Amino acid sequence: MTVRMGFVIITSRCIDCDACMVACRSENDVPLGHTRNWVKSSGVQGQFPRVSEMFQPGNCMHCDNPPCVSVCPTGASQKRSDGIVIVEDKKCIGCKYCLTACPYDARFSNSETGKADKCTLCLHRLEQGLEPACVQTCLGKSRQAGDLNDPSSVVSRLIAQYPTRILLKEVGTGPNIYYIDEAVPDIPDGK
Amino acid sequence: MSKVYTWDQLFSRRQFIKGSVAAGVLGTAAGIGLFRPESNLGQGKSDQAAVKGTKLVTTICEQCVWRCGVIARVEDGVVKMLEGNPDHPNNLGKLCPRGNAGIETLYSPDRIKFPLIRAGARGSGLWRRASWDEALSYTAEQMKKIKDKYGAKAMMFNSTDNLSQPFFEILLKAYGTPNYGTQRSLCFNSMTTGFLYTYGTPQPGTDFSKCKYMIFTGRNLAEGISNSETQEMIEMVARGVKVVVLDPRFSKTASKATEWLPVRPGTDSAFFLAMINVIIKEKLYNEAFVNQYTQGFEDLVTEVKDYTPEWAEKKCEIPATAIRRIALDFAEAAPAAIAHPNWRTSNFVNSFQTERAIAVLNALMGNWAQPGGLIPDQELSTLKLGVLSHPAFPIAQGIRLDGVPWQYPMVPLAYGVIQTMRDNILTGKPYEAKGWLISRQNPVLSIPERQKTINALMKLDFVAVIDIQASDTAYYADVILPESYYLERFDGLIPIKNKIFIRQPVVEPLYDTKSSLMIYKELADKLGLGEFLPFKDEKDLLSQQLKPFAVDLEELQRVGHYEMEDFQEDHSKDFEFQTSSGKIEISSGIMAQMGKKAVPTWNEPPRPEKDQYYLLTGKTAQHTQMFTQNNRWLLEVFPENRAWLHTSVAAKIGVKMNDNVVLESEVGKVSVKAYVTEGIRPDCIFMVGGFGHVSKGLKAAYGLGASDSALHKTITDPISGGSALSETFVTVSKA
Amino acid sequence: MELTWGLMIVIYLFTAGLSAGAMITSNLAFLYGGQEFERVSRWGAYLSPFPISLGLGLLVLDLGSPFNFYQLFLTLELSSPMSYGSWIILFFTLLSFGYLYLWLPQAYQKVGQTLQLERWKKRLAMLMPFLSIAVASYTGLLLNAAVRPIWDAPLLPILFLISALSTGVAAVIMISNLSPWKRARHKELHVLTKADAGLIILECLIILIMIVMGRSSSASESMAFSSLLVGNYVWVFWLLIVGLGLIIPLFMELMELKGKIPVKWVWPVTISSSFLVLFGGFFVRYVITYAGQTNSWF
Repeated sequence: MTVRMGFVIITSRCIDCDACMVACRSENDVPLGHTRNWVKSSGVQGQFPRVSEMFQPGNCMHCDNPPCVSVCPTGASQKRSDGIVIVEDKKCIGCKYCLTACPYDARFSNSETGKADKCTLCLHRLEQGLEPACVQTCLGKSRQAGDLNDPSSVVSRLIAQYPTRILLKEVGTGPNIYYIDEAVPDIPDGK
Repeated sequence: MSKVYTWDQLFSRRQFIKGSVAAGVLGTAAGIGLFRPESNLGQGKSDQAAVKGTKLVTTICEQCVWRCGVIARVEDGVVKMLEGNPDHPNNLGKLCPRGNAGIETLYSPDRIKFPLIRAGARGSGLWRRASWDEALSYTAEQMKKIKDKYGAKAMMFNSTDNLSQPFFEILLKAYGTPNYGTQRSLCFNSMTTGFLYTYGTPQPGTDFSKCKYMIFTGRNLAEGISNSETQEMIEMVARGVKVVVLDPRFSKTASKATEWLPVRPGTDSAFFLAMINVIIKEKLYNEAFVNQYTQGFEDLVTEVKDYTPEWAEKKCEIPATAIRRIALDFAEAAPAAIAHPNWRTSNFVNSFQTERAIAVLNALMGNWAQPGGLIPDQELSTLKLGVLSHPAFPIAQGIRLDGVPWQYPMVPLAYGVIQTMRDNILTGKPYEAKGWLISRQNPVLSIPERQKTINALMKLDFVAVIDIQASDTAYYADVILPESYYLERFDGLIPIKNKIFIRQPVVEPLYDTKSSLMIYKELADKLGLGEFLPFKDEKDLLSQQLKPFAVDLEELQRVGHYEMEDFQEDHSKDFEFQTSSGKIEISSGIMAQMGKKAVPTWNEPPRPEKDQYYLLTGKTAQHTQMFTQNNRWLLEVFPENRAWLHTSVAAKIGVKMNDNVVLESEVGKVSVKAYVTEGIRPDCIFMVGGFGHVSKGLKAAYGLGASDSALHKTITDPISGGSALSETFVTVSKA
Repeated sequence: MELTWGLMIVIYLFTAGLSAGAMITSNLAFLYGGQEFERVSRWGAYLSPFPISLGLGLLVLDLGSPFNFYQLFLTLELSSPMSYGSWIILFFTLLSFGYLYLWLPQAYQKVGQTLQLERWKKRLAMLMPFLSIAVASYTGLLLNAAVRPIWDAPLLPILFLISALSTGVAAVIMISNLSPWKRARHKELHVLTKADAGLIILECLIILIMIVMGRSSSASESMAFSSLLVGNYVWVFWLLIVGLGLIIPLFMELMELKGKIPVKWVWPVTISSSFLVLFGGFFVRYVITYAGQTNSWF
């Protein structure tokens, strides 16, 4: 079976500390003013004193049908066989078409390189057997990454065990971040 | 005559290069972007930097005071990434945003790169470069002059919680001054004194892992991150444990809790007294525990008789039914239940009573040394480092400027009351202070009434500051002794249970800076006090600390920690309480002695007048107190503080999200952006502390947000010495 | 999201359409109008290469790696409208210069024999309408492919095509009216104005259908369209596009066609109405480009 890399993000475990954002900036030399990942807040919902707030971390969804890849005029944006969506800098002309095409706004134009820039799932770390920087640092273990096709991976086990949702299903991108909102008492062992 | 520089010139790129000849030159990345040097960094001085390839160095974080384990990845002499050390109990392999951002400060253009001596009026921002020898000689000369003329007591020493603090304390004791200022009275004095006078220990631990019911009243772990404890809190929430948060503001911790109770500020003790009332009335307390380990229960029964939930509802505005329900559920879960001791619950004069009520509530339920309850002091189960042998300290002459104990008889000597120290600099009573040596502390932004603190600094004959960046206090100094950043230096070792951890240089210092250990040591030498800090260099000192253990420094540096095997935790003293009675004092012996009500009691807190609001202050997960705001990676995730206004208040004054508002208290006035939300009581305004810097040397942070210390009134709890910050009331208007 | 494609892209979309429109106008006038419409054909040919060249220049400037732009022409990615669009525009622009050359007065035609050139002119005039339609509608397909609210409207290529023709015709009307040399005559202008009026009516219809379709589509789509009708872009949409860009010039053109304009006013009215059509055409690109980006899915 082919590898399909993706994330599971457990929103109930996120405290919006943004450690993932800083770790990513550090690991990937992301220039100031831009970010490859984020934590979005629902804002305080409801009326005092019956209020709630939810935090939703995110980044490139490494979609099954990535519009950023199909619109790329030079073939710089690619979906690898393991599912990771990357930009080949050499081919990128900086037309920003992919930025407009991403419904998750997961890409930015890197002001230092002039190229489209995005989450690489920390490919260089995966190659060394390390977790992505955002996953590694996450205090709440809210962020998990792995092979969605491997039933023994942490992400697959979580998806098997809890109800999940994906973002903007109707756009048809086939995103590979699965969100779990329920409380998850134990993160299963796995690859 | 050497050249005089302004802040702008000091931190301009050209001066930057000139000033760092010895340490090498930063790369091309000036302006925006990362300030990581190219690989030409450190040519000449550092052998380490010349080394090609990647290495991992284990050290300890200093982005806050929690001391997390860090593994630094250094590529071609440049620090590329900081990751949590999985072997470290304080963070279990994880780092918070601040810990992740350490690299930015290391390579910040705003670092102080060499010693500076003031070259214009104090606070003018004019400086000249000095050699270390000159700067230290000058500092020692001034300190000697003050000692000779006015006595050692005219010199004040200030520092905050850090790994080299014990050596700073040696320096000040050797110098012979009684005047030592720490941050404690601005932080947790009411908690520590409240628990000290109840259990004989100031800060018991908390067993989150087995806890079944948690009440937080001033511990916002999602935003005031204490790494491992925050992780434990998240796990606890994920397990579905009942978590109740009392906070006038809907904090991120509250958003994770099972129940948020927007308590009226300053009335938490009514809530706890009512819980005690219910628990006693329903006979739910742990009778055996109370009989065996506590004293004064009968007095408590009498005291809380009238503190019914209905009474409390009128005070704290939490429904009586909720208080009763929580009391019953809490008792049901005990002893695997914790009313958390909290942290900075010290924001009212009555907060000491709140903490006492919390301490007593836990005692009634026997939540002590049981799974899921409070954990007794672990000092017995912690390795003891080797100590330096030095001559006996001279006896400090004179009473303390901070009023301990002559004005505040119950404040433990080690805690002090820094805000009173500041006030007495200004009054000149009981005597005139003349000099101030401040290491890693920023009183200008931390003590209430910022202007008074600045005035106090202006009044002194001599001010020396040890810091890595030009803090607001350094801005008013005569001498700045630049400290190496934590990624460039050694500090004292840190034992945690059966392990010893080390902070060590990840890279050689980039600039002409020194570790505080060596600054203290060399200053002591210049003062003729060298024998009190008898070590050659940092490694010599750490080797002496390691003497009792079967490990040498090299090994410790390589592994990052030492673990003593076959180490038995000692719980023999878990039920020996270091109080005057040897028991948990429900009725405090020392309070009785002082002629005060000995059991927890209700003291009515002040309330804002019409059109006034409580000013609340607190933390954010992305910054530490007042010293990370200049870190641009952190500014990316938290760019400035805003004033939280309830929607109805915003509507009343015609303000929308991010409009500017003016907050005005009796002592100050600031302008700050509004954050309009349903997540705060309509009678409160909240702002994160630490913004509103006045130092122009903090180029990224200068001018961002507003300082709460510009608004805070100086009000001190006479029992704990805690600064009652939330007794400041403000008006708000559209800017 | 923040704005990724700004004014440069708006200008590019506008100029590409304008050039394509002017080219078609010239081609059709030449093929079907013969000598009678010679002036119109000529002005269309003279005009056509330049707006798109300007647009292309800005487009390259807008790239993050402008010196890398040749990468576009090392490949053909059929899934990317920008890829095939670039090839189409490349051919269009080169050929439009060739077409211009063929329309130059003989004195300037240094290469080629007159008879041969005339033959080429005819061939090109038959080929260029297809390329022009491709260029004009490609700008719509470009936005279509970046699946965003408004941008994904299926009628967008048609709207851009019609708007391109309308602005092309208007530009030819304007320039052939302004020129002291080879100024167009009443009959030619009458036909052009008729055509333009027809195109404006068609454009209004398409916009109406797009809005109705958008409003009855998903919530994100509906929200995005209401940003035009009542939201952030209300002024641009109603005043600059509908009012100044469509209704007023249409009214002026209809009055002209009915001969209700006093003779001494005809010239200024013609100039104004064609200017307003260009103005409206620009803001159609503007509002679509901007509103598509400031609205996203939710």
